[in-house]
Amino acid sequence: MMITMEAEVNGKKLVYLDNAATSQKPTAVINALRNYYEAYNSNVHRGIHYLSAKATDEYELARQKVANFINAAECREIVFTRNATEAINLVAYSWGLSNLKEGDEVILTIAEHHSAIVPWQFVAQKTGAVLKFIDLTEDEVPDEEKLREMISKQTKLVVVHHVSNVLASVLSIDQVVSWAHDVGAKVLVDACQSVPHMVVDVRSLDADFLVASSHKMCGPTGIGFLYGKSELLSSMPPFLGGGEMISDVYLDHSTYAEPPSRFEAGTPAIGEAIGLGAAIDYLSGIGMQKIHEYEVELANYLYDRLSSVPSVRVYGPKPSRSVTRAALCSFNVEDVHPTDVATFLDQQHGVAIRSGHHCAQPLHRYLGVNASARASLHFYNTKEDVDEFIHALSDTINFFASFK
Amino acid sequence: MGSSIARTHLSPSSPFLLTKPVNCIGTSPSHIHLNLQKPIFKKPPNSRFAHDPTSKNPSFSLSCSTIDRCAKVQPSSVSEKVQRLGFEFRSLPEPIDRVKRLLHYAAILPPFDESSRIQENRVSGCTTQVWMEVMMDRNGVMRFRVDSDSEITKGFCSCLIWLLDGAAADEVLSVKPDDLVEMNVGLPSRGNSRVNAWNNVLISMQRRTKDLVEEKGRGNLEQISSLISVNGSCSSKNQASCGLAVHELI
Repeated sequence: MMITMEAEVNGKKLVYLDNAATSQKPTAVINALRNYYEAYNSNVHRGIHYLSAKATDEYELARQKVANFINAAECREIVFTRNATEAINLVAYSWGLSNLKEGDEVILTIAEHHSAIVPWQFVAQKTGAVLKFIDLTEDEVPDEEKLREMISKQTKLVVVHHVSNVLASVLSIDQVVSWAHDVGAKVLVDACQSVPHMVVDVRSLDADFLVASSHKMCGPTGIGFLYGKSELLSSMPPFLGGGEMISDVYLDHSTYAEPPSRFEAGTPAIGEAIGLGAAIDYLSGIGMQKIHEYEVELANYLYDRLSSVPSVRVYGPKPSRSVTRAALCSFNVEDVHPTDVATFLDQQHGVAIRSGHHCAQPLHRYLGVNASARASLHFYNTKEDVDEFIHALSDTINFFASFK
Repeated sequence: MGSSIARTHLSPSSPFLLTKPVNCIGTSPSHIHLNLQKPIFKKPPNSRFAHDPTSKNPSFSLSCSTIDRCAKVQPSSVSEKVQRLGFEFRSLPEPIDRVKRLLHYAAILPPFDESSRIQENRVSGCTTQVWMEVMMDRNGVMRFRVDSDSEITKGFCSCLIWLLDGAAADEVLSVKPDDLVEMNVGLPSRGNSRVNAWNNVLISMQRRTKDLVEEKGRGNLEQISSLISVNGSCSSKNQASCGLAVHELI
């Protein structure tokens, strides 16, 4: 099913624990991609011939699958992008530049991924809008109470993650949305770490914008999506110009297509979209609620095992009845660089984890470290994987201790 | 200015000695005991880099000493050194031994001056912090100083220093990232990965070397200085604004 999971690395059975970076791909997804290229490769929306019609149908069916997966009201609320980063940039350049002005406030948390911070820095530089950040509570979760207090009439947008890719914490998006809407502000949710792992219902959350990435949810790389409420997308100017997104082009001006085409300039990632649709079929076949429940169990097991290893510091909240953690742990080993930990785990044990700042430098600065190691799981991981990781980590710690 | 220990990095006789010889193959780190002898050196004024204008050989002679012990003949060119390094790491089939070897080389990389651990000297990358100082002496010999907060990355850097410190600029520029694939530690060197220490540090060394070559090519720097250095964000086009440091020797 997941071919890579059967692989060997450095003579050891691979233990793949870097799912927050990207997930492995089911055979069904690879087959869907291959089938598109082998059986009906053609450009979409342009040809009248059979192949083009077939490709268009499958491409638009993939859009419908995404809409159903996150319970969007209609499929035109789904814009295909290259990835979640591009989706956020789309909102920043289109909605942000046309709706923000000097003195307006955008509220974010210090735990945002760089892709959710940098585009808004661009917009703030161009418009004079102000970025305001909330930090963490003592439990190392973004301080929702401070967020509530920070929201004011100047607030025009709140940009928050759903699940932190470092802290494993889960934000109460419905609460945040409610507070933001009370002052007329919009909310953009970075759902890259939640959509692949749990039921995400945009209508229940009432989020204005939500972004996610295909490759983290068993789909191909090169495609992600933006969900935007219809009325918002309809009011937004194009982000990129070119084919596909126009209605009519004259020499001096153009008129633009309706969303989502307005935001999909040029030939899209057709095969990748179809592959994403296959990934959604695959995940839905298992059931997102089932996946979530299993991963919560894995998350607690991972946290308990890892936090009991001497000289290991795990970041983020301690799981409890009221606190759910995602199935990932960022951590540091005392006096050993996380990259050294990750390298040794890979070289000696075939355990794949990530090290670095995980595109969250402000958060790492707040935590007082330059980098951390991160083990992140998906539904195809097991408690045995966690055991092997912990065993390998203990060996790694002993190895480096022998050099001191 | 560098501390006294830092300056010994390029001093003609290395301050670091192995108390036991290292076997060519299958060396155990438990047999490696470093004797960090106190350095004997003369303070080179106005430079963090010890300088021997007559020397064309890298004076960081101990790095990759294992290789030197394996071969009776000291490699003289960068390409020979690349081959030696490849040979050494190929002779270590177990990943753990390659890691141990890198940690050994990390341990003998002389300390980097704390005051040089500044943003301008950073080598951009994602997972570890690397700092680098690059200079060219009046003979066109390249001088490199590198440090990292990761021990394994320091090991990579130590090998690169052994390869390239003291080499001519054209030799520095001749090394290809693929040449380092043989070392087979961590990520393959192919590709431009932001976490690939080999690749990032080598490319930075070459980029800064190229900048210095261009500066020298303009022909005026030698009149005012015999040693020029460039930090991370400098290019030949923005010398004034990015703070191209000019150090004069005695």
